Order: sequence, then structure tokens, then C-alpha cells
Amino acid sequence: MLDKGKISTRQLTIIVALFMVGSSILIIPSYLATYASQDAWISALLSIATGLAVLPLYIALGNKYPGKTLAQFMEDILGMWLGKAVSLFFLAAFPFTMAAFSLRNIGDFMTTQIMPDTPIQAIHIIFLIVVIIGVRLGLEPIMRAAEIIFPWFILLFVCFVIFISPQIKWENILPVLEGGMKPVIGAGVPFTAFPFMETAVFLMIFPHVNRPDRVGRALFWGIVIGGAVLFIITMMSVLVMGPDTTARLIYPSYALAKKISIGNFLERIEGLMAIIWFFTIYFKLTLLYYISVIGFAQSLSLKEYRFLTIPLGIILIVYSILISPNTSFWFEMYTTWALHAITLGLVLPALLLAVAAIRGKGAAKAAATSASEEQTQPDT
Amino acid sequence: MKHFRVIGRKGVGAVKRKAALLICVLLVFIAGCWSRRELNDLAIAVGFGIDRSGEQYEVSVQVVDPGEVATKRPGSQRSPVTMYHAKGKTVFEAIRRMTTVTPRKVYFSQLRMFIIGDELAREGIREGLDFLSRDHELRTDFYIAVAKDLTAKEILSFYTPLEKIPASKMHNSLDVSDKSWGPTAAMKLDELIKDLVSDGKEAVLTGITILGDPEEGTKRKNVQMIDSPAFLKYSGIGVFQEDKLVGWLNERESKGYSNITDTLKSTIINAPCPEGGRVGIEVIHSKSKMKGKVRNGKPEAEVEIRTEANIGEVECKLDLTKEKTINRLEQEFEKIIQQNAEQAIKKAKSLEADIFGFGEAIHRSNPRYWNTIKNDWRRQFVDLPVHIKVDVKIRHMGTVSSPFFNQLKE
Repeated sequence: MLDKGKISTRQLTIIVALFMVGSSILIIPSYLATYASQDAWISALLSIATGLAVLPLYIALGNKYPGKTLAQFMEDILGMWLGKAVSLFFLAAFPFTMAAFSLRNIGDFMTTQIMPDTPIQAIHIIFLIVVIIGVRLGLEPIMRAAEIIFPWFILLFVCFVIFISPQIKWENILPVLEGGMKPVIGAGVPFTAFPFMETAVFLMIFPHVNRPDRVGRALFWGIVIGGAVLFIITMMSVLVMGPDTTARLIYPSYALAKKISIGNFLERIEGLMAIIWFFTIYFKLTLLYYISVIGFAQSLSLKEYRFLTIPLGIILIVYSILISPNTSFWFEMYTTWALHAITLGLVLPALLLAVAAIRGKGAAKAAATSASEEQTQPDT
Repeated sequence: MKHFRVIGRKGVGAVKRKAALLICVLLVFIAGCWSRRELNDLAIAVGFGIDRSGEQYEVSVQVVDPGEVATKRPGSQRSPVTMYHAKGKTVFEAIRRMTTVTPRKVYFSQLRMFIIGDELAREGIREGLDFLSRDHELRTDFYIAVAKDLTAKEILSFYTPLEKIPASKMHNSLDVSDKSWGPTAAMKLDELIKDLVSDGKEAVLTGITILGDPEEGTKRKNVQMIDSPAFLKYSGIGVFQEDKLVGWLNERESKGYSNITDTLKSTIINAPCPEGGRVGIEVIHSKSKMKGKVRNGKPEAEVEIRTEANIGEVECKLDLTKEKTINRLEQEFEKIIQQNAEQAIKKAKSLEADIFGFGEAIHRSNPRYWNTIKNDWRRQFVDLPVHIKVDVKIRHMGTVSSPFFNQLKE
């Protein structure tokens, strides 16, 4: 393997939770409220359940090829050339594109809410420099950083919820299921895709986990924690501001933080609260970028991955700028991205599993031998 | 690793030095942020008003003069705030045109008060509000009021005693009167927009007007005299139909409104005694619940008001040591609160504006039925039967029991 880092199951849980919250915390409440109005919270619950239901697929795929990343076992399943082609496509279209989206999310947020006269490129470059430093250090340092920052994230989030809770108006979520289940499910589908299906990229770091037998549990709890955070923020937005306002706002979470006012002195702390998504977007972006870089290196059979970080970083910055012409783009992108994420995050792994099953034991045996070859080879 | 060795030959130190230099150069350009604005570049707006001026908007901004507000300076002849105004086809245009008269760019994050001119309020306020909710500098923690029979410009060009900055005077006084008097509606932007958008609730805004001579209020003399010749005063609640001001509630009706919508925190109510004189209570806790329901295919609303109060003053003969007296007083006050509420509803019905949100209550309880009547709600509201239940509990009576009136000779 290119990176020998080992991570514990607890670190996996933490990174999955941070990854799930990622940039979704900024966008999801508005999206869910637009389609499901006051029932946004039901959509959120449904999506969490669906997201967890997909989990066994990833686990099955990961367990079939222990010690191998997605990019590596694709070659075992589909043959070397087709496998390399599909894996390069997957990496470019999924983790790398997602990284561009996440970067653009933080850039758009900063230029809309906090520093409107600052060129978005400046924000992207500065943010990505920190990401590249993280990726060059490798998986283990990223995970340890996540482990250190996670309690602060939870602390800030809990404070956020407690500070805003006096303004809750319960009648905002009534009547329940006014439009029936249809809009609720309709809103839930893209939310299932973003961010739940995106957890497919974790197939790229399964082999690094020190207790492979407990990967499923770690992933499960990570999704539950991340999903709970998104559920709570959606619920809070609707309870405090009402479904109409939540839907109209581009960044409801920030508007919610702006509303915090306790005893006329604990107020104007939205800048502090924005640290919540600075943390989560940083870890989502770093992980996605790490996966893209190391995946490219594996598919191209390179001996080193670090030298890729800067050139790919330059591409990522240009990509993130070109990816969306304006803010309206994002509203239409939700549905498109849902199809995209379901294709790559659900259909592709299912197909891979099916092909692997058809090819049967022969493929598995080949995989086992090539895995042992991999281990005997020196890494650098 | 080969890749790095190639660089290494040139000397790692040289590369490091170059990198350090690059970072230093970058620091000059990218440190801080483009949107950085120092305090002395800002004109901090505390009051903001919009009026109609022909086809255009006239925007007035009350800006703080920081040097004059600072407490340690001996009083000078300059006024603590300055007002700028400009006209434009849109609000945003007018604000930017203001830069032709202001020495600094106006900064809106500290806004305390937003005043809408009477004329504009009657024509409709929806166009003016978008800028306020879209601009990132504006928060939603300022209060909104309508200048009753006046322009916003007149309200904002007023000297106020005690509080140097008139806009914070307006903000604080609305805060205080909302907490301890009742017949005002402290509305913030997000609440206002929510009510404007809602099918089952019309918006209200509290009215602000000038008590005394409006001419005097714009002069410095207004704060130099002990009894100021003119005051800014909150008066009544303005009722909107959609986004147009259609009428005003008087003080009693406003109290009824606050009571029904559960925004009443504390207030004073008084009632006549049986043998002349009056007795007043202070409401210390008030809670109201609104329920909408459909009976026999017709909408109905129910309001339950629970009030806890203390006796505040007694100006007549009453034997307060008897529980019977208290019970009778409770009934008396229940009647008065009920009348206030009924009058508020009557006024709202005559204006065809459901400012209480009865429509929303019906929507919550029976969404399917609501969808069939929602487009016709304005007319349905006029015939809506509202059942009001009031429960008053008098708890304490201050530091004395029966009033000294009882011992006075006739």
C-alpha cells in the first residue's frame, strides 16, 4: 500500500460522522424544507434509515477483498484494463468532483455571508493549502486531527442547539404530513444521495482499519451520529424559523446562528458557530482529496502519491471555480447530483458485487494471491 | 522519493528559503480579507427609514457620530447622530446613491430600528423588504415600526432626551413597553415576512408617532429643556391586509391583540369598584392558547387566556382580607380582558384582516379543510365565531392588605 497508516475503529466512526455533516449542514435544511415544508424532519429520518440500509452492501464488498481498496479490487473484478478505466472514472467523477463541490460550498458561503468582496479563488487557495498539508502527511495524522477536533465540534454543536432552543415554536412543525408522504419521500431521495450514498468512498480506506471485523459497526455509528446532527439542525431550523423562511434562506444554519440572543449579551456569535462547518468541511474535503489522490496513484500503479497533491490541487481549484456558474445552479444540481450519487454510490458497488459473485471463486482466489503479492512487495 | 532527491541536489535550504519568501509575499496580498473595513471607515447606521416619494423611494439613514456619543467628551454643539437621505427607484439604488452625500459607506449590522412611512405602508411594503432580507450586512434583530400619519424621515430626524441615539431610544422603549405595558407589537424582520407570506395570518406593525410639537423635536432645544416639548411615542398597532396598512387598533384593542396572540408579558388593567373609584392589577404572567376547529363544516376558533396578577393599587373601599372580594375582582377582570379581546377581534373583522392567526390555527388542526377555504379566508374570517375563555387568578396584593381608604371618613 502507498500509505501504511492504520486507523482505529473509533477514528473511522469520527471521520464518517464529520464527513456526513460536511457541507450538508449548510445546505440540507433549506433543501428539505423547500420540498417537504414542515415535515422536513420526517424526510431526514427516512433518509437516515435508507442510508443505513445500504451499508451492508459496502461491508459485503469490503469483506470480499480484505486488505484492498476499491481502486485495487476493481481490477480484480473487472480485469486490469477495464478495472483501471472504471476506477479512474469513478475517482474523477465521485470523490474528486465531490471535493470540488465541497470546496465551492465553503467558498460560496464565505463570499455570500462573510467576505463578499473577497475573490472566491483566494478563499479556495488558502483552504486547499491546509488540505494539501493534511493529505501529504497521510491518513493517520488526518485521523488523529479529526479525533482531537471532534469533541470541540460536538461541544460547539451542543451549545448551538442549547442557545437557540429558547426560540423554538412547536406549532411551526404542525400540521404533520399535510401533503401526505409523497413530498416527504421526494425530498428524502436527494438527501439520501447527499451525503449518505457518498459514504461509498470509504471503501477506499477500509484496508487501513486495524480491526476489519468491526468496520461495519464503526460505519453504522458514524452515519448515525452524522445523520443525527443533520436531523437536529433541520429540525431546529424549521422549529425556530418556520418552514417558509428555512426554505427561502440559502444558508439556514448560519441564519439560525445569527438569531441566537440570550439575555442581550450572548449574541452575534454566528462567526463562532460557523467554525462547526469549517471543521466538518475541512475533514470532508481532506478525506475526499486524499482518496482521490491515493486512488489515482493506485490505479496508475505509481510508487508515490505525494507529488500528485499539488498538480491535482491546481486542477481542483480550477474545477471548483468552473463547476458552477452561479448560485441558481445548486438548486437544480440537487436532483442531478442525486442520480449521479446513486449511480456511483449504489449501482456501481452493487454491479461490482454481482460481477464478483458471477465470476465466483476463481476471482476470489486470484484476489487472495494478488493481495499476498501486494503485501510482500516493498512499498517505495 | 526520487522526485524529491532531484530538488535536494539544489540544496533543501535554498528551496526552503524560497518557500519562506513566497509565503511572506503571499502574506502581504492574501492576509486579512478584501472586505476588511476599519471602524473609522464606517458610517454606522442605527435607524433606517423608507418613504414613498412619487415614483421613487426615499431612504433615510440615521448614522452615529462616534465622537459625539463617547461619554467622556464634554458636550459639544454637534448632534450625536446625523441623518442622510437619498432617493432612488429601488431601495438599494437609493442607499448607494447616498454615498454622494455621506463621507463614509453606510454599515448596517448595528441597525436598531427600521421605520416605514405611513404613505408607503398604505401602498404596500413588500418591495422594500427584499433588500433588508437579502443583504448580508443586515441582521434580523432590529425592530420595525410604522410612522403613524408621518414620514419615516420625520421620525428619524428627532432629538430624544435621556438616550443620545434616537434609534436606540426607539428600540429600548419598544422593548420595555412590550415587556411591561402590552399594547405594542415588537416585530422583527423574519416575523414580519413570515406573517406576510402566511395565508392564515395577516401582519401587524406597531405605530410610532410624535407627541407634542413635531417642529420642536427636530431642534437641539428639545433635549435642553427639562420638559421636552416633543416626544416619540408608540401608539397602537397597525393592521395590514396582505402588505398594505388598512387601519389601526387603539390601545384597548391592542391589549386585546397582545393577549390573544400570547405576546403579552405584563400590563396594567383597572376596573371600577362597586362604590366608585378604581382598582388596578398588574399582570405578572399571561398565557394564551388558540385552537382552531371545524364544526358542522364551519370553522371555529377558541381562545383560552390564563392570567395571573397582583393587586397594584386600590383607590376605593374594599375588604381585601376576604377571599370573596378577591373572587369578585377576578370575575370583574375576566370580563374586562374578555371585552378587550372581543373588541380587538371586532376591529380586525371590520378591517377583514386576520391578524391573530386563527387561519393558521385551523390549518394546523385540519389541513384538508383549510385547503378548501384558504382562498376565501378573508371573508370566512369576518363570520368566524371565536369563543374566548378567560381565567384570572389574583395572587398577591403588595405590602398592605386592605387599603387605608377603608378608614377614611366620608
